[in-house]
Formats: sequence, C-alpha cells, structure tokens
Amino acid sequence: MVSIADLKRISSYEWEIPVSYRADMRVPVRIFASETLLKDVTRDKSLEQAVNVCALPGLVGSVKVMPDMHQGYGFPIGGVAATRYPEGVISPGGIGYDINCGVRLLGSRISYQEGKSYLEELATALNQFCPSGVGIGGHHRLTSRDVEDVCRKGSRWAKENGFATDQDLRRTEDGGQLQGADPRFLSPRALKRGMGQVGSLGAGNHFIEIDLVSKVFDQKAARAMGLYEGDLALQIHCGSRGLGHQVCSDYVKSLQSAVIKYGIELPDRELVCAPMDSPEGEAYLAAMACAANYAFANRQVLSHYAREAFESVLAGRVKDWHLHLVYDVAHNIGKIETHQIDGNSMEVCVHRKGATRAFGPGLEELPSEYKKIGQPVLVPGSMGTSSWVLRGTSEAMARSFGSSCHGAGRVMSRTQAKKTIRGEDLLKALKKDGITIRAGSMAGLAEEAPAAYKDVDEVVETVTRAGITAKVAQLKPLVVIKG
Amino acid sequence: MNDTLAGFEELSHTADLEIKVWGDDMASLFLAAADGLFHLSGIEDYEEGFSAVKETISLDAMDYEGLLILFLEELLYRLTEDYMLFSIEKLSISTNFSLKAKLRGTQIKSYQRDIKAVTYHRLNIRETDHGYEVNIVFDI
Repeated sequence: MVSIADLKRISSYEWEIPVSYRADMRVPVRIFASETLLKDVTRDKSLEQAVNVCALPGLVGSVKVMPDMHQGYGFPIGGVAATRYPEGVISPGGIGYDINCGVRLLGSRISYQEGKSYLEELATALNQFCPSGVGIGGHHRLTSRDVEDVCRKGSRWAKENGFATDQDLRRTEDGGQLQGADPRFLSPRALKRGMGQVGSLGAGNHFIEIDLVSKVFDQKAARAMGLYEGDLALQIHCGSRGLGHQVCSDYVKSLQSAVIKYGIELPDRELVCAPMDSPEGEAYLAAMACAANYAFANRQVLSHYAREAFESVLAGRVKDWHLHLVYDVAHNIGKIETHQIDGNSMEVCVHRKGATRAFGPGLEELPSEYKKIGQPVLVPGSMGTSSWVLRGTSEAMARSFGSSCHGAGRVMSRTQAKKTIRGEDLLKALKKDGITIRAGSMAGLAEEAPAAYKDVDEVVETVTRAGITAKVAQLKPLVVIKG
Repeated sequence: MNDTLAGFEELSHTADLEIKVWGDDMASLFLAAADGLFHLSGIEDYEEGFSAVKETISLDAMDYEGLLILFLEELLYRLTEDYMLFSIEKLSISTNFSLKAKLRGTQIKSYQRDIKAVTYHRLNIRETDHGYEVNIVFDI
C-alpha cells in the first residue's frame, strides 16, 4: 500500500509519487488533494491503482489523480493519463464500462419563488417523462440500423429527430458527436443492447436533479452561462447504458491477446491496451466513439423529456419555463487532444476515468460564448449536498491535461452504507432539509447516501486552490430523481 | 450448488462490488461464482421449476480466468437482456480452457441491481489446500 510517507509534497494541494516508488513506473503520479483528502485515499487501493497505470506504454508527463479519487477496477476513479498519439496505447479499462458517462446542466429563468410551489408536481412529471430504474429502457425501441445512426451521429441524431436545438449541440463537448465512430466495430450484442435504451437514465448513481442556483462566485462567467442566483437549474447524470458496457467488455476481452502480441507487460489485466495505430487500437477507438455518441444522444433525449415535463407543469403558470443547456461534459472517456508537453505541442490520448475535461480560455474547441471564460466544468455532489459549476483555467492546460474533478467521490463501500443507513430514514432526513426524492429502491437510495461520499465542497476547494478550475456557482438540490 | 466446499462471500469495495469465491474443483468454483452473480443482481420473484427453457452453452478461452469471465458475462447478458435466470444442471471444464454447460432457465420478472460488467481487475484463480479460490470485482 502507498502511504503518505511515500509522497513528495509539491504544494499544499499537489503531491507526487516518484518513479522510484516501483520499478515498472514509466512516469510519476501527481495527486491533487488536500491533506485531509489524502488521508481518505490512503485507506483504499486508489493510489496503488494509480501506480499500476504508470506502466502503460507511451505515457507522457505524469498520471494525474483528482481529489475525488477512490478505488475502482484497473484505473482509480479520478485518474487522468495521457499517451502519445498514435504510437502510445489506449486502454478500455482506463475509460470504463460506462463510456461517456457524463453530466449536463440546464439553466432556467424560473425563480425559486415562482417555482417552489410546483416542485412536487415537477418531481412527479420528471419521473413520468424520463424513464429510470434497473432494467428500464426508453420510450422508443430503435432498429439496429437506427442504433448505428445514433452511434455515428450522437446529438446530431437527436437534432434530426426533434430532440435538440443547434445551441444544445454547440454546448456539448465535441458538439455531441465524437469523430471516427464506426458501428462496424460494434458486436451484435452491443447493437442489440442499444435498441431499447436511448432516452433512459438507468440506476445506480445516475440521477436527474432540480437545483437552486444558491450562490454565484463569478458574475461574468455565470452570466455567460445564463445562470442567475435564486433561479432553478436541472442536472442530468447518465451514460451509454448497456451498449457502452458491452463495448468495454468486448474490448477488455479481445485486448487480452493484443498485449501478448505487442509484448506489453502490465500489473493488472484490467489495464489491457493496444497501440492506437494498431488494428486492435483503431477498432477500440472507433467502437468507443460509437458508445460516446450514444451517451451524448441519450442525455440529449432525456433533456428533451425533462423540457416536456417542465412545460407540462409550468406552462401558463410561470413566465418562462424553458430550460437552456449550459454545457454537457463527459467524465469517462478517451480523447485525442493537443497539449504542451515539456514545451512541445503534442497530440495525445487523454484517458479520463472519473475526471472532467476543464479546458481553459481561448481554446478553439470551446463555443464562442465560453471562449473568454473557459469551459464550464460540472461537479455534481452526492445526493442532498451541493453541486458546483466551475470553469477551466490555463493552469489546468499546463498541469492536468486540461482536466479537473468529476464529483464528490466515494469513501464508504455500498455494503457498509446499507448496514449503517436505512433508505427510509435517509428519505425522511432529506425531506426535512426540503429535498424531494423519487427513488426506484430504498436499498439503492441508502447506497448513495451523502455519508458514503467525501465532502464535495472540500474537493472543489482543492481543485480551485490548486488552480486547475475556478468557482462559478454553487447549486443546492431541491428535487432528486434516482432510478 | 449447496456444497459447503463451494461458496462465496461479499467483500468491502469503495465503489463497486467484490466477492470471494471458492470451490473444491474448477467446476464448483464456476458454479459458486454464478451463484454470487445472481445474488448480487438481487433476483427475487421468479417461477420455481427451471423447466421452461433448456439450453447448452460452449465457451473457449485462453485461460481459466478468461473462461470464468466469459461464463459470468453470458449469464449476465441473458439476465439483463432476456430476463432469464439459469440453473446450471451440468458443467464441465476441460484443461484446454473450454466449458460446456447444460442450463435450465426460467423467466424472471425483475432484478434489483444493474451490474455493468465482470472485470479482470486482479482476477487470479488460486490453488488452495481445498481446491480453488478467486476474487471477482463487478462494476456497477
């Protein structure tokens, strides 16, 4: 186990595990964490997992770990690793089974005063319009050919079918359509699993939440995003559903032989990988882009349903019930990006496993309205606690491959959470705090209890003090829909 | 498989689910792992009898770990896609890492937990004094 004594202090919020820690490390690990958060992470295997990642061929710079890190499988959650493109490797396990799991935030001009008496009705309507829960699919069943279309086009498919506006596409990472998607690299099972799930939330830690913009820290940035103190906003957290899970399973399996073929030695089989310029690497990149696009389309269709739910409850009752997309970010993905490495501009594949892209001002990938302020970074809290809207900085480009944290991060296992917390008690406590919950199962609710997570405010404090993101606004939950 | 020589227990994992599985031979290890998977999925409310559907499956892999993943993934896929729960009537595993199983399935109405995948994370089938054991991490 890595202990605090093994770490080199870079600053109060940045630490290093040097390459001398273990013989197979090609690069060091850089950890963004306060001293308090560091103590949490030395309790599980997340740092050990970060050291394992350092064995991947073609890594550049260092492997970064965000302050919301916790133990995963293969990569730690909160891990960011960049490999030189195209000769470096891509690792499906470094992106995860829920490819392009992500978050989007929609803002509104509905004031809390106007909306508060309709929150119960909105909770019921969101629950009805947006399918959620274990094994629950979307409203429509697609043909296999339709699924291929969704995979190629992502949010553009949603627009062609009346579920999106031009602004929605512009305000989604990569315009909601990752290039290079090729459905020929999907297995029949992946395609079949995609047929019934577009526009469905799923279960686990996925949610839809109505929030109050409780505090604005950066007026200029908040105005650019259309966020105003005292107004309502909506978050959607979900991913690529069964199609994405199948893609990852298929490729973690097929790459088991690729590592032998390319002579790659790894400390954990879940880290299997292939050079991006190999047939195996190219195939995974094309399949991953399909799953990423499926996820963009999924969140977009859910946004459409949420807009319908708001209209059904609020039309004629409030002045303006519309929900505008602030931004949509992916937090489980591999992206080919250009970064400055040791003073040289270099194309790399940035693996983000439970980490959010946080591009600073001026980058051409950002829509014009965010070019001056930097990319909106969305950090959902645990159920019942704050969520945060941050913005990317130039520091992030220099120090974390343009990345920041993705949430609160777990500290308690699900088994322990269920033992110590009863879903019914939690429901009562949240109700007392003025939070309305619609949940598929009480046991599932207990597993996602706030006590099972780190303090999101401290996580956000760490990434802002480290300089890799800046605060824009804090959100307080009012209604939570969980599958 | 109610043999005390085979079984599983749930271990603590920060974000996902982990079970330790043991069996006195490879086949009983695989059967206990299947029991563990169905337990974690939280299957309730199914018709007893397992007579409705008879199937056979044949799987091949590079090693026992790969074969275990294929086997569990097969059961998981049929569970989540077709709502089929299987009772494994006969299971044979050969030393060249191929598996043959006779299954009887029954339709289930619901399950309580979506398991995204069976992972290779630290997957290593170990020989013990009493047979074999393995830890399996499931992504949820």
